[in-house]
Amino acid sequence: MTFYSPVITNAAEVAGSDKLHLFRYVEDANQTKIETYESHGGYGTWRKVLTTKKPDDVIAEVKASGLRGRGGAGFPTGMKWGFIPKDSPKPRYLVCNADESEPGTCKDRVIMERDPHAMIEGMAIAAYAIGCHLMFVYIRGEFGHCIETVDKALQEAYAKGHLGKNVYGSGYDLDMIVHSGGGAYICGEETALLNSLEGEKGMSRIRPPFPAIEGLYACPTIVNNVETLTTVRHIMERGAQWYRTMGTEKSPGSKIFSVSGHVKRPGNYEVELGFSLKKLIYDPQYGNGILGDKKLKGVIPGGASTPFLTPDQINVGLDFESMTSVGSMLGSGAVIVFHEDTCIVWAILKLIHFFRHESCGKCTPCREGTGWLEQIIRRIEHGGGKPGDIEKIEDICGNILGRTICPLGDAAVMPIQSAVKHWRDEWQYHIDHGKCLVPTRFEFV
Amino acid sequence: MSTSTTTQPAVKMVTLTINDQSVTVPKGTTVLQAALGAGIHIPTFCWHPKLKSVGACRICYVEIEKMPKLQVSCATEATDGMVVKTESDIVKRGRKAVLEFILANHPLDCPTCDKGGECDLQNLTFAHGLDDSRFDFLKRRHIVPGVPSTFDDLRIGPEIMLNRNRCILCYKCVRSNKEAFGEYDIGAFERGNAMEINAAPGEQVANPFSGNLVEICPVGALTNSDWRYKIRVWLTQTTPSIDIFNSSGSNILFYKEDHKNRIFRTISRRNDEIDDGWITDVARYGYQLVHSPDRLQKPLMKKGSKQVPVEWEEAVAFVARRLAEIDDTKGCVCIGGLASPTLDLDSLHSFSKFMRKVIGTNNLDFRIDYRSLPEKPDSAFSTLSSQPFTIAEIDTSDVIFVFGSDLVKEHPNEYLRIRKARNFGRPLVYSVNSFNVKSADVADREFIYAPGTEEVFINGLCLAAIEENPGLSGADGLKRKISPADLNSAAKTCGVSAEDLKALARTLINGKKISFIVGDQVSLSRDREVIAAALCNLNRLVGITSRGQMAALARYADSIGAEKLGLIPNPHPDVKRALTDLWGGFPEMAGYHTEGMFSQMLKGELDAMVILGANPVAMYPDHEAVAETFEKLDFLVVADLFETETTAMADVVLPLASWTEFAGRYVNLEGRIQKAERAIKPLYESKPAYAILADIAAAARKPLFSSAREREEEIEKVLACTTVRPWPGDYLDVRPPAIDKDPAYPIMLIIGDDPHHRCYVTEKAASLVKFCSDAYIELSPELAEKFKVEDGDAVRVESKYGKLMAPVKVSRVLEGDVVFLPRNFSVTRANSLVSRKARIDWVRINKVSG
Amino acid sequence: MILNKESVALMQKKASQYPRRKSGILPALTIAYRQVGHLNDQIYREIAKAINVPYVEVAEAATFYTMFPKQPTGKYLIQVCHNISCALLGADSLVEYLEQKLGIKKGETTKDNLFTLISVECLGSCATAPMMQINMDYYENLTRAKVDKILEELRAKA
Ligand SMILES: Cc1cc2nc3c(=O)[nH]c(=O)nc-3n(C[C@H](O)[C@H](O)[C@H](O)COP(=O)(O)O)c2cc1C
Ligand code: SF4
Ligand code: FES
Repeated sequence: MTFYSPVITNAAEVAGSDKLHLFRYVEDANQTKIETYESHGGYGTWRKVLTTKKPDDVIAEVKASGLRGRGGAGFPTGMKWGFIPKDSPKPRYLVCNADESEPGTCKDRVIMERDPHAMIEGMAIAAYAIGCHLMFVYIRGEFGHCIETVDKALQEAYAKGHLGKNVYGSGYDLDMIVHSGGGAYICGEETALLNSLEGEKGMSRIRPPFPAIEGLYACPTIVNNVETLTTVRHIMERGAQWYRTMGTEKSPGSKIFSVSGHVKRPGNYEVELGFSLKKLIYDPQYGNGILGDKKLKGVIPGGASTPFLTPDQINVGLDFESMTSVGSMLGSGAVIVFHEDTCIVWAILKLIHFFRHESCGKCTPCREGTGWLEQIIRRIEHGGGKPGDIEKIEDICGNILGRTICPLGDAAVMPIQSAVKHWRDEWQYHIDHGKCLVPTRFEFV
Repeated sequence: MSTSTTTQPAVKMVTLTINDQSVTVPKGTTVLQAALGAGIHIPTFCWHPKLKSVGACRICYVEIEKMPKLQVSCATEATDGMVVKTESDIVKRGRKAVLEFILANHPLDCPTCDKGGECDLQNLTFAHGLDDSRFDFLKRRHIVPGVPSTFDDLRIGPEIMLNRNRCILCYKCVRSNKEAFGEYDIGAFERGNAMEINAAPGEQVANPFSGNLVEICPVGALTNSDWRYKIRVWLTQTTPSIDIFNSSGSNILFYKEDHKNRIFRTISRRNDEIDDGWITDVARYGYQLVHSPDRLQKPLMKKGSKQVPVEWEEAVAFVARRLAEIDDTKGCVCIGGLASPTLDLDSLHSFSKFMRKVIGTNNLDFRIDYRSLPEKPDSAFSTLSSQPFTIAEIDTSDVIFVFGSDLVKEHPNEYLRIRKARNFGRPLVYSVNSFNVKSADVADREFIYAPGTEEVFINGLCLAAIEENPGLSGADGLKRKISPADLNSAAKTCGVSAEDLKALARTLINGKKISFIVGDQVSLSRDREVIAAALCNLNRLVGITSRGQMAALARYADSIGAEKLGLIPNPHPDVKRALTDLWGGFPEMAGYHTEGMFSQMLKGELDAMVILGANPVAMYPDHEAVAETFEKLDFLVVADLFETETTAMADVVLPLASWTEFAGRYVNLEGRIQKAERAIKPLYESKPAYAILADIAAAARKPLFSSAREREEEIEKVLACTTVRPWPGDYLDVRPPAIDKDPAYPIMLIIGDDPHHRCYVTEKAASLVKFCSDAYIELSPELAEKFKVEDGDAVRVESKYGKLMAPVKVSRVLEGDVVFLPRNFSVTRANSLVSRKARIDWVRINKVSG
Repeated sequence: MILNKESVALMQKKASQYPRRKSGILPALTIAYRQVGHLNDQIYREIAKAINVPYVEVAEAATFYTMFPKQPTGKYLIQVCHNISCALLGADSLVEYLEQKLGIKKGETTKDNLFTLISVECLGSCATAPMMQINMDYYENLTRAKVDKILEELRAKA
């Protein structure tokens, strides 16, 4: 049996629900095998779509479902597909974004490790909707085992005639390539991903042109997240109406949240959008409360690039709109929980180190700004903070925010800005006393 | 000289407001370009007018109404009704912030930086920067291992130094190298703020366009080792000039030190109609030959068996006397002359008048190259090479067909132009040759025809066009004139499949605007008349020139000038008439062209030669025979910059001034007359050719012109004649001659210019020698494997006519049984391997062991 | 030649699947890394030749991506995730523990050339923290006892 992560999921709950769907079979060790997958109705939807529906019907259905991208930005999926030019003579491409590198995020991995066919089936349907005959999945290179699992599933799908020439006798050809990355968070950003896929350095491209017009090899291209594409398979199986019975008006459906950090029961949980963040952290079925029953200090709700929430802000629904209303973002749905023993400067140093390391280096504000920020924050953390450093940090953040080619620059500064805003005294204390207010030391047991 | 009759689709215009000024530009223009066009300055670092925008540096921010964030103007398209502000507070603050980021890690070493005075960053900081740096950490420093210099300079190419500390990562060097030049020897490595520009690991940045990288670097990261630390830029004077090493005539600027008679460097002087601001390394460093210690300093005269320095008066008087003697005793038919097509118009016209009026002969030519052909005034090749061609038309062509040319070596400007067309307009580009060439890398497809089957290939293309479109006019008539007359046998003979020929024919038939370039493989072929005839047929059949342009491109700086001034025995009738009018007569005799003169010399029927700036003994095929021929002369006078194989045989050698030492005009391949101003005074005792000729004529008491003005007026009158020869009125016979091939010599030899050299003179330019100092045998990897040789191993190359030895360079381009040998190195005598009688130069090679 | 025939064949096969050969650069780097355990200029040259792309582009790509060590490492390359989720559960002390167990500092290789220890950015194992990757394999939900056992097993295998 292929390796897969021991991460906790709420598969049992999902199996018992007639709505939640992504995690239904993820505790079934045989689900990676095509026979098992097919016995659960797998590839039936693809066959139905390919043999009975027109591409535009698929786009219409996905539009009607209100599905929004699960890769971080939450862009309406059906609308994005609609941007593919109808009359372009160029080939079109679909790229499944499985770069999953946003700190805190470990959800796409579960789908690829445990239900890879669902992703492939979703991709096939999406490819058909946009008229693509060659699709790619870009998996981060470190996920060697995922790559193996998906590769194996792909071979099975070809062998069974779900992919290849003239699929199901429909006359439609569809091929797929598994592409592995080389260790670069920025390659999750769609234009950097496309450059990387073309064999270039993974540097972001300026938009416009948007990938839907000029993407991979300068051809119309759709990039979607693993979870998004897997969801498409379920929407096409059960319909947009069904899908809309979950979640909120503007954020319909369900989504996987990765809960990590100082909780007793870290794991990946599929819940409806709009689900309470507080419940996700404290409910025994999910996070089961704070480690060591300590006091909650803060939460990053959507992965390392989203602003912090304070304990008084967590009584909020996990959907795109509610998250915006409390000044943060749903992002990739990676909930990172910090308890009271965490020094905010220490935490931010970890984050800014990451973003500095991952900046592609193309645009000036991000390349130089993240480096500068890291040096100042490191100096504060190590006791060398200077008066005015906080203001300088704020100013530098302001000079990066909204000024870069891709959102990595924003991602790098938004958590910092929120951390300075929420815990300004702690920063000040650090500078004044040359040490933490809260001596952070997390032991490995 | 536009040839295109097609009407361009009407370009949609948009009107926007920039700083309260209304600006109208074609749709697709960026905000930056709209502003620049309206005289509104926006700073840039990463933007370059000839490269795709990447929006990386972020200094070009503008504020656009209804957009919440600042936008980079270099990558934002101007749209109707857009309201742009380039100097609002928020823009200024944004710009300042970017400058602060850039300066955070930029050293403050302006006083010792060679870019000082012409540095974009320095200028911008002065204009917009902060007073004080808030960055209080050590700056990033790239230390060069083993170099104890505080500058951390790294040599990355024969003439390029890199200081990574100063680099602001605009990526212009790497981008232009790949995008504009198609070269892959410099890169950006690592990532984020550890990113660094460098040569490919273990390699050198030595491509034929490498000097441009230094020129476009906005800071002092890339500097030129030829120029740096010699002088500060504010202590120089500049002189506009042109590149005389290639036929496009790129525009350049010479820098000379205020009070010295010495050129220090060359940079481009962007002319979008010709060069887009890119110049070759040959154009950039070629000036150095002017200051070579090998320059001829004084006239030399043979006394006894030795050439000894003499005064000008003595040399001139002697030449005039000897020519008069030979004229008296044997007649003017026994005197001939050759002038280089790199000379200026004044010199060329003076030469024509000197030969025709002072001596009275029509034995003159400017075609100093390889295999000149019997001259027929109405020849197909004359037609093909006199056709108008406009470089900038390449930009908008939708089909570009390059036939028989390695553009990088022959027409580097046009190569870059095609690359640009590919980057911005996406034309279909085909490269068709008898061997693989570097410039085919811009082509959608490269086709290789069998050696010596150019005309069969073109016949095949005609036949394929007829199959594709049987209605083409006169198709039957054509078929009767060519052999083979069926597509399949033509395809078989030339080795390009009937399918491919048909696909090519289709693009030629369907192309809306075609640029069809004919290169050296045709122009220098023994059988160029036959090939040209085939091309005339093709044009007649599919009508290429009615939808574009087609020409055998001129090869030298003033080839077209020489042609227009009538520097061949039997010039265009209009030119002849004009000259007759001006001079009140024209020699009656028919005259011999280059090849003819050589035969006459060999027969002892031509006794004296006047040669200006040419070196036929080293450049003309059949080295031994040509040398022997020259030995038969009674009297040889040669003017040149250096001692050469030809001057060595001369009775009188005269020091020639270079194009930098006097103001001269040259006609580029488009027919465009351009001026190279005088940058420095003539060195030593050298003189321009026109002055030398005037002196000799004066000594012979037959003054050439009463004044410079008269000379100029004559030139104007002659140039006013058209020399475009009409296309033939019918299809021409094209019966391919048989290809001679001896199995003992199985490998095809190609002789041409190394990409860093031109002709026989650039080996005197120190920088160019750093790129390539010696001849080599470039051979395909297959041959390298077959002969078990690697880079640097010596091989012997042998043809029926001669042999020589040279080190191996394994090619990245050539495939199969073909080798390339540069003709630029005098000691190697490349011309000893080749013969005037052969169409293909077949050789065999052997490894030299030990 | 550093690359063996199988690697070269695999690279060429992979590169030929894409609409453009250049896309084969990253797969080729991965294949080379799996064979050799690290990358260097010589390998870039061989890749460039194998899949017919410019050498400089292989080198540029290789140095951009951080997954491939550019120097030889021990037989087992231990990469501890030091990013936020793992750090909250003791990643820093995990590194210290490994340093102590292996008798080396972060960035070093053991004398027997068996282990190289480094720390890296998030490996997508946040809900099973702390974790480490050894060569291509993931080890998650780590405890001291687990780490001891893993090292023992690897030593035994070597
Ligand atoms: C720095 C950065 C990293 C990203 N990383 C990922 C990623 O790992 N996976 C992903 O699916 N999307 C990632 N994204 C978002 C993608 O750019 C893109 O929006 C997404 O793949 C689109 O898919 P969706 O519409 O299905 O969400 C990232 C974006 C940025 C700016
Ligand atoms: S924001 Fe950062 S990652 Fe994005 S393009 Fe700019 S430098 Fe690259
Ligand atoms: S000039 Fe526009 S971003 Fe550099």
